Amino acid sequence: MFRWGRGNLAPSILAMRSFLRRREWEGWLYILPYLLLWGTFIAWPVGYGIYLSLFDWNPIRGSRYVGLANYVALFDDERFLNALTNTFKFVTMVVPLTLTVALTFALLLWFWRGSKILSNLAQAVFFSPYLLTVSVIAITWRWFFDPDFGIVTAFCKTFHLACPKFLADPLWALPIIAFATVWWLVGYRMIVFQAALGDIPQELFEVAKIDGVPFCQQFIRIILPLIKPSLLFSLVLTLISAFRTFGQVLMMTGGGPGRASEVLALYLYWNAFEYFRIGRAAAAGVVLLGLTLVLTLLGVKLLGLKSELQ
Amino acid sequence: MKRLGVLFAVFLGLGWFWGLAQSVKIEFNTLFHEADAKAMEDIVNLFRAAHPEIQVELVQGRWEQYYAELRLAVIAKNPPQLGICHVNRLMEMVDYLTPLDASPVGNLLELAGIDPSLFPEATWKAGQINGHQYLIPLDTHGWGLWYNKDIFVAAGLDPNKPPQTYDEFIAACEAIKKAGFYAFHPAEDALPRKLRRAWEIFYYQMGGELFDPAFTKATFNNEKGLKALEFLVNIFNAYGWNVVGGNGYAQFTAGQLGMLFAGNWFYPTAKQSGVNFGYAPVPNLFGIPYTWGASHQLCVPLQPADTPKEVYLGAMKLARFITENAYIWTMSGGHIAANKEALKDPRLLESDYWKESGHILNDMIQKGLVRFPINHPRGSQLENAIETYIQLAVVGQISPAEALAKAEAECNKILSEK
Repeated sequence: MFRWGRGNLAPSILAMRSFLRRREWEGWLYILPYLLLWGTFIAWPVGYGIYLSLFDWNPIRGSRYVGLANYVALFDDERFLNALTNTFKFVTMVVPLTLTVALTFALLLWFWRGSKILSNLAQAVFFSPYLLTVSVIAITWRWFFDPDFGIVTAFCKTFHLACPKFLADPLWALPIIAFATVWWLVGYRMIVFQAALGDIPQELFEVAKIDGVPFCQQFIRIILPLIKPSLLFSLVLTLISAFRTFGQVLMMTGGGPGRASEVLALYLYWNAFEYFRIGRAAAAGVVLLGLTLVLTLLGVKLLGLKSELQ
Repeated sequence: MKRLGVLFAVFLGLGWFWGLAQSVKIEFNTLFHEADAKAMEDIVNLFRAAHPEIQVELVQGRWEQYYAELRLAVIAKNPPQLGICHVNRLMEMVDYLTPLDASPVGNLLELAGIDPSLFPEATWKAGQINGHQYLIPLDTHGWGLWYNKDIFVAAGLDPNKPPQTYDEFIAACEAIKKAGFYAFHPAEDALPRKLRRAWEIFYYQMGGELFDPAFTKATFNNEKGLKALEFLVNIFNAYGWNVVGGNGYAQFTAGQLGMLFAGNWFYPTAKQSGVNFGYAPVPNLFGIPYTWGASHQLCVPLQPADTPKEVYLGAMKLARFITENAYIWTMSGGHIAANKEALKDPRLLESDYWKESGHILNDMIQKGLVRFPINHPRGSQLENAIETYIQLAVVGQISPAEALAKAEAECNKILSEK
């Protein structure tokens, strides 16, 4: 005769009992609001984007499942490959420059930390661009390099220097946008680095000083290892910002001259909102997401900071 | 307490009557901004005063993503009841629009009493596709020649005789350059699409066509196309009449530019700048004095199946009112009204705009000298392909011949895609 016993209970029921007994559900309850928002505004749109990338999307005439055809078409499209190349160029310019400049400024302010007023003032000056919106940044820098009335053009004319065409020059357009982006982003990263530098125990530097360790050695042996978590945070943040750069490119050059500064996010925008090729745009979005994810994880691995993510 | 109850009932009753009186709600979406948006708002306000039974919500000023938003609104079954569509966007947008002569509630044109004979035949027909009328013409707009009279005087030119032939034009440019000013800017603020329009003007003036009639292939990579592009490139380079990347609007309003090709929408800006300006037709440089232009038209986006007839009729009533009062549109927005009766309004004919520039643009329109952009389901992509390489030629990155060859190849690839 069949008798109920612990051994007969389905494993799932046992797991549920254990779950309830251990009050794990309380923890889930605490994060439920976040999970709901994350699911609604991040996970679902990303999932739906991936789903859309498999369709020739046209709800009026009827969407058609095309499998990976949108991805194949992307890599057959010279314009996409050009946008991909430009994105990599842009990331290569922006990420190292932002981190280097931010760290340099943070170190300088760290050295001057004795003068509180000067330090605070410099902090405010460096951080203030970050408070501006992308449209203000783009318009300001576009005006700086205006070939008729720009301040840089005026400077060149005053000193009789040969003035490049700047934003109208395919060689200069992307570097100028990258420079404007660095100027915009550097303040926040600087604050992050400053906070990390402030957390380093002073005793380490005092011992190093007594032992006569030069600054470059102090930087490599003490500072860099101890600010690694901040470095990772800034790297990931800057990498993501650089990969999804859109506003400043749209407003400063519109992707031009020609397509010299057209980046992936802009390519995606034209396809989605100008040509209404939603499937193709979604596929480009998935590629962008994949690239950002892979490079972020690569950065984590290279910096040896796996534990920071756990 | 009883009194309060009665008062509440009366209040509810009034609310119900008010609701009945305003039973039709129309959303009207446009892509207009600045002076255009103000002009449209003025017309809609007049309509609101004349037709209190129809509530109109006017949403304006989203030029960049307007068409994408219109499509998405139709897909979401929450479209505006009235919208604007550039005539050259019809083929791209047709799936998202209601055929006005075959709507689910009948022939809206007849129901609203809209008379096609009030509009220029070509402009009216431009709103037809697949045997149906989708659009009601609102205006025609286009580029003309704006010139600075003071610079003309400084350059020894007659400020009352702007150049109208190739020889006159070249002579004027050289004289202005010699006087120390930017001589000529052919493309407003030099955005890629503006450079393309300038090239199109030169090319159309030579009798060229961008594509074959069936849109199977590009037809601009030829001697005429090359000559037109070389002329455009030389303006910014060899001729020294302007600089690469120069903004014609800014140069003109700063009093630094002699002549500018720009649209009629430049009028309020030119006026405010204080520049002593004149306006003339685009000169006949290469044979036929064509200019670039387009037409804003009114449309009824595709409505959900259960949309009541009253809503359609309300939208059409508003559309008719707008076209009949388009003199305001012309006076304030600068675009030439398509409705012939509106163009006869004495308030328009006496306005500064009409006297200073409007009548000249209207003359170009009536003579059929305004060439509309291409109308193709992938028109935006095709135009982008052309303007990308034209811009690269202008900035000196590639030669004009190379630019045309690349643009042709890309256009043909777009046309060959399913």
